[in-house]
Amino acid sequence: MSTSHNTHQQTQFSKQTDLTEKLVGLHVSKYNKNRIFLVLLSILSIIGLIGLIVKISTDGFDNPAEWGYYVTFVVFILTTVQAAPMVAIAPFIAKGHWNRSITKVAQLFAPLGLINLILFVPVLCVLPSLSDGRRTLWFFESLKMHSHMPHIITSISFICLVLLGIALLWVSTVPDFAILRENSKNPYHKKLFSILSNRWIGTSKQWFTQKHRIGILGAFYFMTLVILNFQISSDFAMSLIPGWIDSLYPITHAANSFQAGVATVILAMFALRKWGGCKDFIEFDQFWALGKLMFALSLMWIWFFFSSFIIFWYGAKPTEKAIIELSMTGPYFVPFLGSAFLLFILPLITMPFNKIRRSIWGPTIIAFFILIGSFLDRLRIYVPAYQLTEHPNKHNIYLADIPATILPDIPDIMIIVGGISAIILAYTLLTKLIPVISIWQQKELSLYKIHKKFHRTEVLVLGKPE
Amino acid sequence: MQEHHHRTDKQINKELLSSIFATPKWWPIATLLCLIVYLTGMTAFGYMLNKGVGVTGLNRPVFWGFYMVNFVFWIGISHAGIMISAILRLTQAEWRRPITRAAEVLTVFSLIAALQAAPLVHVGRPWRADLWVFPYDFSRGIWINVKSPFIWDPSAVMTYLTASTLFVFVCLIPDLAIIRDRTKGIVSKIYGFLSLGWRGTPVQWKLQIVAGILLSALVLPVFVSVHSIVSWDFAAQIGPEAWHSTIFAPYFIIGAIHSGVSAVATVMVVMVWLFKWDKYITSDHLDAIGRLLIIVATAWFFFFFLEWVYALYTLEGPELAMRQLQVFEMPWSALFIVFVITAYLFPVPLWLFKKVRRNFLWMFITTISVNIGMWLERFLIIVPGLMRKQPLMFSWGTYSPSIVEILMVAMTFAWVLMGMLLFARVFPLIPLFDIKEGMVGRDEIKIGRAKVPASIRE
Repeated sequence: MSTSHNTHQQTQFSKQTDLTEKLVGLHVSKYNKNRIFLVLLSILSIIGLIGLIVKISTDGFDNPAEWGYYVTFVVFILTTVQAAPMVAIAPFIAKGHWNRSITKVAQLFAPLGLINLILFVPVLCVLPSLSDGRRTLWFFESLKMHSHMPHIITSISFICLVLLGIALLWVSTVPDFAILRENSKNPYHKKLFSILSNRWIGTSKQWFTQKHRIGILGAFYFMTLVILNFQISSDFAMSLIPGWIDSLYPITHAANSFQAGVATVILAMFALRKWGGCKDFIEFDQFWALGKLMFALSLMWIWFFFSSFIIFWYGAKPTEKAIIELSMTGPYFVPFLGSAFLLFILPLITMPFNKIRRSIWGPTIIAFFILIGSFLDRLRIYVPAYQLTEHPNKHNIYLADIPATILPDIPDIMIIVGGISAIILAYTLLTKLIPVISIWQQKELSLYKIHKKFHRTEVLVLGKPE
Repeated sequence: MQEHHHRTDKQINKELLSSIFATPKWWPIATLLCLIVYLTGMTAFGYMLNKGVGVTGLNRPVFWGFYMVNFVFWIGISHAGIMISAILRLTQAEWRRPITRAAEVLTVFSLIAALQAAPLVHVGRPWRADLWVFPYDFSRGIWINVKSPFIWDPSAVMTYLTASTLFVFVCLIPDLAIIRDRTKGIVSKIYGFLSLGWRGTPVQWKLQIVAGILLSALVLPVFVSVHSIVSWDFAAQIGPEAWHSTIFAPYFIIGAIHSGVSAVATVMVVMVWLFKWDKYITSDHLDAIGRLLIIVATAWFFFFFLEWVYALYTLEGPELAMRQLQVFEMPWSALFIVFVITAYLFPVPLWLFKKVRRNFLWMFITTISVNIGMWLERFLIIVPGLMRKQPLMFSWGTYSPSIVEILMVAMTFAWVLMGMLLFARVFPLIPLFDIKEGMVGRDEIKIGRAKVPASIRE
């Protein structure tokens, strides 16, 4: 008995050492061939920056109607990139094992919120103050609130979200930094990882604290993300559209955010598997699990959307008819149709099929279209909302006449392309510092996962500690 | 700490079939009491049929009172089964095993209670119910009004009832075969007929598992649609203030899950107390359901917050007056305070403590508290929403339930209790095959000096 135990321990030890070597090697060796790709992304990012400068100098901040597409883009990044860490948080809280190899893939999106935080500054500048007389959740006149309450509170939430994301990434990477510290030959790297690992030696107390910190930070990240979705959707969209009272919209906004966050992670997984050397760790199981989750979130989104729509359609009050015309059947009919098709109909007609769902290409292609659908969904709300800040009806109870469609101008397109490039560039650079596959989580999984003989077959046994 | 009581197949059969093969002393008394209350309620219903709905407290403009509150409440409770059974089955949560059957059965009896609570009762002349469903005058082209909630509700509820009953039955088949093999004569023949020739062959197991998973997945949209439709009975109307709100469907669903899962926790505790099944339903199960309840309750509270904050956001006089009525005017204000405390402020902070989550008595008290609060929530949505004066309304007033309505509310509670008690005498309330599967699939992994609980996965 004791011999078998020792053998088991030795096997585990050798497995662990091999795994560490393999993952450290993967982190050190990757992306040597990607220089051209990085240069291209840098050029596109600079083009985006030029677009932003041109936009500020030509349109200024006094004309919010011109900033609709810019706001759409910032909100799109919030609801995709900044929602992506949720893929790491929810299964961690539920003590799932399948997500271990993609935890870091999702968490690495969190610091990219810094870029979006910078991009958010012009959004604050173009949002009118509450003194323009619009209906607001801040009950400006009744409660004598400051006229820039939406600006102040949303900025605080935004900063909190970014800080929580960075803290979450750091806390959950500390053991990996310690491994890199031990395995690094370059003295500068050794020093850097030594600082980042914060004297981690892996005592029981450190592990206990670390796991609780991840849980707490994750829960707060989730709550802040939902609250930020609530603030953005009500203060930066709903309150700008006369007569639009939809208590469900913040939740619909958040649901789409989770859906788009999952889609973002799937695309990142695909890229890392294809070009990042992570084929052995990001496998079919992860795509399958996330594909199912993405499909479930698509159904949830349509349920929220339909719950709002049926009340407006059935109620048919003048305000409700105007909202339906503005965001669905009128000037933004095409984006609406596109978003409904890509966010719901496409997943519905494809994902129930095993061949598509149980593949790597299937969920990836659907994820790509879901991101486009999310952008269109944001567009049909935020572009008209900013358009209406200058509308003659802006103080009316409802919109008497619906404004015409606005199309993006050249700087808008430059900003969108450049912004997306900057996000990809920053993500790629981050993977140079932080291992994209969590080393400690993989090692832990190797302890919890064993195959053993059960009657005449071999089964997988998964440990689940309390 | 994870409790684990290993039981052999023989022990499982003996202990879990004890409710069928031995009659506890309390059982006839409890069932008789429920029957008396139920029959009293039925008598009140008969009286109302004879005299008309004038014997109730319903009036103009409060056309919906206790009956509708009770209907929404029981529909809410019925969401327990699917939440616990279907979702946890699909996510392969191990702790679901001993509680799925009770949750599913609770769903079936709650749905029947909901049907008894309102749609038929409310119309005054229930024998003409067929006219909602079938066109009754072809020559004059009079068709049913598909825009009426009287079409939506029964269709949704009946679909849900059919699906839930099928779900319970499919999951019962292997257990029915076990009872068949332990009974004799006509009883054995009945169980044999119900078990559909189950012999436990690999093909039969495969089909049963596939059917369970398929039904779990298919019943989920039905589960969502039922309470959404019930909520649209209210939200699609533009008359009463506070009802015409987009959030109603998800708000009702999450509220239903909150009350339903709480009801399942109550049933779990009662099962342990009555049948001594403490080796199957342990503190671990209560702990898991307690953690689930914290999430569900907090999500519900967020929806509640949104519903309120957007009502104030409208800044429309009637809406604000209605909210003022709910919060500042007696007796509604007192009920409102009781509702918020019992549904959230009392139970949820307590559930944050592990000791409370693992304590049977505390879980019983807190989950009962949730359902008191959730019943009041429906009352506070329905009655104050109707009693305020609307445009083109020339009489208005308050509402107080009559004894007929009170007896009929009591009748629905007695019905569900009686149903559960009768079911427990005829069928096992804890699925034997699921427990055995859990025992077989349970394992341990040794990591260093520690032993970690594990389970076999396909």
